[in-house]
Amino acid sequence: MTSIDALPQAPFLAGSVVRTGKQADVIDGIKPRVVVEPRTSEELASILASASRERLTVVFRGGGTRLGWGRIPQPIDLLISTRALNRVLAHEHADLTATVEAGATLDELAGTLGQHRQWLPLDRTGEAATVGGAIATNDSGPLRHRFGTPRDLLIGVTLATTDGRLVKAGGSVVKNVAGYDLGKLVSGSFGTLAAIVSATFKLLPMPAAWHTLSAAFDTADDTARAAAAVNDSQLEPVSLEVRTARSGRDAATYRLLVRFGTSPAAASAQVEQARALVGAGEIIEGDAEASLWRRYQAHTSSSAGTIVTLNWLPAMLARVLALLDEIAQTGASVELAARAGIGAGQLRLDGSMDWQAAAVARLRGQSDLLRHVTIRDAPPAVKQAVDAWGPAGAAAAIGAAVKRALDPAGILNAARGPI
Amino acid sequence: MPIRERVVSELERICGPGAVVREPLQLLTYECDALPHMRATPDLVVLPQSAAEVHQIVRLCAREGIPFVARGHGTGLSGGALPVPGGIVIGLARLNRVLEIDIPSRRVTVEPGVTNLDITKHVAPYGYYYAPDPSSQQVCSIGGNVAENSGGAHCLKYGFTVHHVLALEAVMADGEIVHLDSAIAGAPGPDLVGLIVGSEGTLAVVTRVTVRILRKPERVRTLLAAFDSIGAAGTAVSEIIAAGIVPAAVEMMDALAIEAAEAAVHPNFPAADAVLIVELDGNAAEVEELFPVVEAVCRRAGATSIEIARDDAQRARIWRGRKAAFAAMGRVSPNYYVQDGVVPRTKLPEVLERIRRLEARCGLRIANVFHAGDGNLHPLICYDGKVPGQADRAVEAAGEILTYCVEAGGSITGEHGVGLDKVDFMSRMFTEDDLEVMRRVRDAIDPRRLCNPGKLFPTPRLCGEVPGPYREHPIEKAGLAERF
Repeated sequence: MTSIDALPQAPFLAGSVVRTGKQADVIDGIKPRVVVEPRTSEELASILASASRERLTVVFRGGGTRLGWGRIPQPIDLLISTRALNRVLAHEHADLTATVEAGATLDELAGTLGQHRQWLPLDRTGEAATVGGAIATNDSGPLRHRFGTPRDLLIGVTLATTDGRLVKAGGSVVKNVAGYDLGKLVSGSFGTLAAIVSATFKLLPMPAAWHTLSAAFDTADDTARAAAAVNDSQLEPVSLEVRTARSGRDAATYRLLVRFGTSPAAASAQVEQARALVGAGEIIEGDAEASLWRRYQAHTSSSAGTIVTLNWLPAMLARVLALLDEIAQTGASVELAARAGIGAGQLRLDGSMDWQAAAVARLRGQSDLLRHVTIRDAPPAVKQAVDAWGPAGAAAAIGAAVKRALDPAGILNAARGPI
Repeated sequence: MPIRERVVSELERICGPGAVVREPLQLLTYECDALPHMRATPDLVVLPQSAAEVHQIVRLCAREGIPFVARGHGTGLSGGALPVPGGIVIGLARLNRVLEIDIPSRRVTVEPGVTNLDITKHVAPYGYYYAPDPSSQQVCSIGGNVAENSGGAHCLKYGFTVHHVLALEAVMADGEIVHLDSAIAGAPGPDLVGLIVGSEGTLAVVTRVTVRILRKPERVRTLLAAFDSIGAAGTAVSEIIAAGIVPAAVEMMDALAIEAAEAAVHPNFPAADAVLIVELDGNAAEVEELFPVVEAVCRRAGATSIEIARDDAQRARIWRGRKAAFAAMGRVSPNYYVQDGVVPRTKLPEVLERIRRLEARCGLRIANVFHAGDGNLHPLICYDGKVPGQADRAVEAAGEILTYCVEAGGSITGEHGVGLDKVDFMSRMFTEDDLEVMRRVRDAIDPRRLCNPGKLFPTPRLCGEVPGPYREHPIEKAGLAERF
C-alpha cells in the first residue's frame, strides 16, 4: 500500500501531472490529497486500476462547474482531472456526429461544430463545463424541452473502468441497438461507476434564427394556463420556460418564455402565433435574444442558497407554483426556472440554513405532487441536515448491485452518491 | 431437463389451468418469432393476465432456477423471443390494457401486450400520437418495443423507444417488482430505464410502460422521387442533410424492392432503380419553406420523376408501399432473409456497391430497403429453401453484409436487435473487454442468468442445445405436409 503522504510520488502516478490538493480544489470543505491530470485515456485507466487496488477514494473533475453537487464527500485521496483529455476526435459533419474527449468543454466543442453550422443542443452551466461533466450529471436546461438531456444525444461512449480497462458501448452511428447501452448507464451516474473518457453525439444543424416571446403574468393560474395553451398547440418551441420569483411577503412575479429556433420565416411566424395564443408579451430577437438566454442560464446556475431540481406532471404546474408561493411566504426567497412542457425545473431556495433544509424536507413531503426532489448544490450545513439525493426507491438496490460490479472497492466519487 | 409437474401445477394455480400451454401442437406457435429460420419448441408456455401473475411466475422461476423468456407478439426479427432449453416462455399478449391516458401531461401508461399502433389510436382523437413507428406497428407489442429499443421510419427526427419511455414497472430476475423512472422523467442516478430499454429481455420482464406522446405536427409533406441509380438517390439524401434539413423520414428502396411492393400492395411506384421517400413534418411555415428545397435537391440529383402526396390518402399509399416491403418479398421469392445493419450515412454508396458485388458472387438476389437518413440498411436476401444449399448461402451472405457494416464504422443492428441471430457477430463489433463489462452489468442484475439466457451475448453453447437454423422436416420436404 502506498502511504498517503507518499501518494504524490506513487509509481502509478509517474508521468501524469501530479500535485497536492490546494484550497481551490476543496469540495464541501474536503481538500483532495492529490490532484492528478492524466494525459491519455490509457494513463487514466491505469491510475484507476491502481487506485482500486490500493482502495484510494477518487473524485473526477471536468470543468468543476458542478463539483458541489451530491453529498459531502468522504476524504478524497485522488482528484482526477480530465482537462488534459480535451480533443475533439472527429466531427463527421456530413453524418451529423462528433466524437470528443471528456475533458473538452462544451464551448470548445461548439466552436468546432459551428464551423459547419452544426451544434450539440445542450445548455451549459458555465464556460468551463465539460462534455464528461454534462454526461455524468445528465444536466439540462431550457433546451431540454425540445432536445432532451445529454443521454438523449449520446450515441457512443468510451469508459475507463476500475480494473483498468478501456471499454466502449454504442458506436458512431445514430441508429444502433447492439449490446447494452452503457452510455445510458453512466448518464446521471455522477462518476460512481467508471470514468467517461470520450463520447460520440448526434448533432443537429444550427437554427438560422431565434425568436423569443416573453410574457409577464400576475397570477400562477394565468401563467400555467398560458404555458398549457402553448404546450397543447402545434407550435414547436425549443424552450418553454416558466420563471417565478418571490421573496417573503413581496408579490410574486411570473414570466413565460417561449423560444423558437428554426428558419427565419418559421421562427417569426411561430413567435407571432405564440403571442396571439398567450394574449400578451414582447417579442425579442437578435443579440438581445441571445443575451437574454445567456443571462437566464447564468442566473439559474449561480450557486447562492440551495439549488434543487424537482419534477411534476406538467398538468400540475399551477399547484406547484402555489406550493412554492406558500414556502416563500415563510420568509425567504424562492426562484423557479421550470420546463413547463416537461414538468421539471431548478429551484433556488435562499434563506437561513435551517429554513433551506426545512424547505427541501417540505418539498419532499409533497410526494403526490413532486417527484425526485434532488439537491444539486447547497451549503454543507444544508447537506448535513437533509440528504442530497432523497429517497431512491427501487432503483437504489439495482444501482448498488451495478456499482458493486463495476467498482468493487467502492472508491468512486467518495460516497457523494447517488449510488 | 423437463419442467417438473410440481412447477406446472404451481403455474396453473397462479394463472389458472387454461393459461398453461403444454399441448405439442399449440406449443408450435411459440417455437419462433418473425425470424423463422431459427426454431426451438418450448417445454411450456404460460399466459399470465396481470402483472401480479408475472411477478409470481418469475418468483417461482427464481426459486426453482428455471430460465424464462418473455414474449410479446412474436414479431421480433432476431430470435430474441426464442424459447430456451429447460425454460418457460412467458407470453404477455394477455396483458393488453391501456391503464391511463393523460393528455394534459402528455403520457400514456399501458401493459406490455398493447400494440404500438393502439397507443396512437387511443390518443389520436386528442390530436396526439406515439412517435416510434416500426413497420410492424399494427401488430408488434410495446413490451417488445421496449426490449428491442425499436425505431421506425421516423426515428431520424424523433428518436427511438428509449427517447419516449418515461417509466417502467418491471419484474427483475430475482422476482422483485420495481417501478423505475427514466432520466427523461427526472430520476437521478444511473439511467436504469435507459439500460433496460434495448436489453432484449435479458434484465427484466416489463409489466407496465409509461410513454410520452407528441402533438401531431401541423403540416406533413411527403414526396416520392425516382432515380435511375442508387448513387443518385444517395446524393440527394446527402444534400438534403447538408442543406441543414432534418426530415421526419428518408426512406430508399431499390428496383427489386419496388417490384415486390408493386406486386403485393400496388402503391403505384414508378419503375426505377431507386425511389426515395422524403417526409417533412412540423410547423406549417417551416415545412412549406423547406419542402421546395428538398424537391429542388432531388431534381438536381437527377430525379426522373417526383410525386408529391396531395392528401392523406396519397401519403398513406406511398407509405403502404414502404411498410409492406418486407412481407412483399414473398411475391418475388419463396423465402427471404431480412438483414439489419447500419453504416454512417456517407458510407451508404460504398457499402451498397459491395452488396451489389456480393449479389453477383453469391447468385442470390438481394433487395435493399433502408432508412437512408440514418444509414440503416435492410437488405432482403432472396432464396429458395427447397433448393439445397441456398438457405445456407443466404445466411452467409447476410453475415458478409454485417462485416461490410462494421468495416464502414457502423453497427450489426440498427433496430432488430442481436437476439440469438447475431450473438456470433457481437465480437466483431466489441472487444472482449467491452463484452466483459456488459456481462458484469448483466450478472449484477441477473446473477443466475435466468432472464432470456443465451441471447445478446456470445456465450459458448452446450452441446445439443443449439436451436440452429430451421430445416425442413422430411415430411415437409416430401410435400406431405406444409408449415404455415
